[in-house]
Amino acid sequence: MFLEIQDLSVKIENKNILKGLNLNINKGEVHAIMGPNGCGKSTLANVLAGKEDYEILNGKINFKDNDLFDLNIEERAQEGMFLAFQYPVEIPGVNITPFLHSAINSKRKRMNEEEIDNLSFAKLLKSKASDLGINIDMLKRSVNTGFSGGEKKRYEILQMSILNPDLAILDETDSGLDIDALKIVTDGVNKLKTKDNSFLIITHYQKLLDYIKPDYVHVMVNGSIVKSGGSEIAVEIEKDGFQKFQ
Amino acid sequence: MNIQDNYLKNKKNIFFTENEDVENHRKKLINIFEKDRFDKKNNESLKNVNLKNFLDFNYKYLVPEETSVINNNHDNSYSIVSVNGQCASFKDDKIEITKILDEDYNDFSKNDTIEKNDHFVNLNSLFLNSGFKIIIKKNNNIKIKISNIITDDDLTIFQKNNYICEDGSSLNLIEEFENKNNSTSNILNVIKLEKNSQLNHFLIQDNAPDHNLIITTHSSCKKDSIYNQKVYNFSEGYVRNFHYSELIETNSEADLQGIFFLKDNNTSNNKTFVKHLAENCKSNQVYKGILNDHSKATYFSNTHVDQEAQKTEGYQLSKGILLSDNASYFSKPELKIYADDVKCSHGSTIGPIDENAIFYLRSRGMSKIAATKILISSFINEELSSIDNEQMSEKIQKKLVRYLSQVK
Ligand SMILES: Nc1ncnc2c1ncn2[C@@H]1O[C@H](COP(=O)(O)OP(=O)(O)OP(=O)(O)O)[C@@H](O)[C@H]1O
Ligand SMILES: [Mg+2]
Repeated sequence: MFLEIQDLSVKIENKNILKGLNLNINKGEVHAIMGPNGCGKSTLANVLAGKEDYEILNGKINFKDNDLFDLNIEERAQEGMFLAFQYPVEIPGVNITPFLHSAINSKRKRMNEEEIDNLSFAKLLKSKASDLGINIDMLKRSVNTGFSGGEKKRYEILQMSILNPDLAILDETDSGLDIDALKIVTDGVNKLKTKDNSFLIITHYQKLLDYIKPDYVHVMVNGSIVKSGGSEIAVEIEKDGFQKFQ
Repeated sequence: MNIQDNYLKNKKNIFFTENEDVENHRKKLINIFEKDRFDKKNNESLKNVNLKNFLDFNYKYLVPEETSVINNNHDNSYSIVSVNGQCASFKDDKIEITKILDEDYNDFSKNDTIEKNDHFVNLNSLFLNSGFKIIIKKNNNIKIKISNIITDDDLTIFQKNNYICEDGSSLNLIEEFENKNNSTSNILNVIKLEKNSQLNHFLIQDNAPDHNLIITTHSSCKKDSIYNQKVYNFSEGYVRNFHYSELIETNSEADLQGIFFLKDNNTSNNKTFVKHLAENCKSNQVYKGILNDHSKATYFSNTHVDQEAQKTEGYQLSKGILLSDNASYFSKPELKIYADDVKCSHGSTIGPIDENAIFYLRSRGMSKIAATKILISSFINEELSSIDNEQMSEKIQKKLVRYLSQVK
């Protein structure tokens, strides 16, 4: 199994958020999670990425034959996990290009691959950026600083395509994107998709799933997955909301 | 030993003891010390100060020897090695350097506010045993680099330097303080900027733990002049940077910047007192610190805008990153405004490193340490990248790397 989440319960500040959640993802699969605001979708994404604010009450997570809890945040990233943030963080003064360069090299180092030099990296970054319709001038700026909502989301996807993860978690990457941007971004995702990598896509809109075809759709309510199935579930939710799952 | 006994004991090495006016003033200072007994409660100049270091008078004086070196590099740049506060005399058609003179004693030191509030300046006046005076002549554009060297352990230097930038002159002054021995420097810089002159004053401080550095600067700016001070403090010993600035004529400007990198039990005390006394003047203050371990910093800032000083712009900003729960940065900006047409503001953001930013960077594969370092560097990036002297920039980058290497 590629990613296996068993009976995961998590709390933050005395509030139970995830309650016995189970989810299995195989290599090459695309999974979508839909669920009402506050049900714990971002919490799940953050726990997978290793954010330390949460208290893990119970459960096991296996990722590529590792006990995920044995890996710290950066080790998870280096092992091939990537989280596209729902709210990307602005980091003034930290330039995009050297930051991403150092990020990709720390991953290559762990994989015992050769580090990528400045010149090749600049080329790679430029070509990926232009694929995603990102202005080259933006690459001279500080991480997310002063970016519009849509620019932030595109920039998350740029980072994803540079780091080429095995498991990408997209937390509402479609929110805030205009219709053209949505097309560009989902094209970017589809281009990256191979039989060896997997996607976990958190979204509120069935529209996204028209562009990125999921193999499974899960409904998450109140901290656990209450129903799983195919794309038809997304259509159902779009029509009737979450009422009947609650 | 009390101050008076100490003074009498060392009198032979103290400057200007023959001068009656000076001696009378010193009597007054001794009285102030006796009366005040270094009451810490109401005196900002004493906050975070280990008085024992300064009052257990064990001063050793060298009879001033002129061992300093002045090098005229013929491209309007001069390098000076100032040894124990001394500088040899020098003169050409652009600059003039002499010893400090009796007549310079009164400058700034004799001043009610100072006498009441700043005991380190008072100690400087009382025990003055070194210093020099540099005049930049009209319309010249000069660069000076001064390396301040202390030769012996247990040595205390009370130094007063006067700088005069004549009309239309410009001086780029880099001062380095890199002392390794167990000693104390109490330095008072009195700076006069005549019309249309400019001084860019850089102070690089990197002393070993046993060296205490007390720097007080007074600058006064006439019409259209600019005083620019940038302090980079990497010292492991105690450092105090106090600045008194007076904008006395229209269209003058004081720009004060301090950046400090602290760890262990280091202390950095900063104080500014900026007086806007004429129209259309600007002052800008930025004090940024990175504090690790048990280190401490203070920033007392006072901007005073006189009734006359319409169209003043005055800004104060302090920012700090606390890398440890035990570190503290106390910031107290104050504005006193008596004119009605002014633009003034102050701001302060001091706190631990942004955990969300750390998480974001780590989630891309960067180690925690690398993420912390990159955030620290970005915090001071604007100030460091604006240094336009390549040699100095390299030097400071090196010190930054050294500082970062101990961040865990
Ligand atoms: N630091 C925190 N302190 C207290 N409660 C928190 C904290 N972080 C998250 N929560 C709570 O946990 C619950 C789940 O939040 P989460 O962000 O996972 O929801 P979500 O499903 O992603 O919602 P949305 O669709 O709005 O993005 C919410 O009720 C939220 O208020
Ligand atoms: Mg969310």
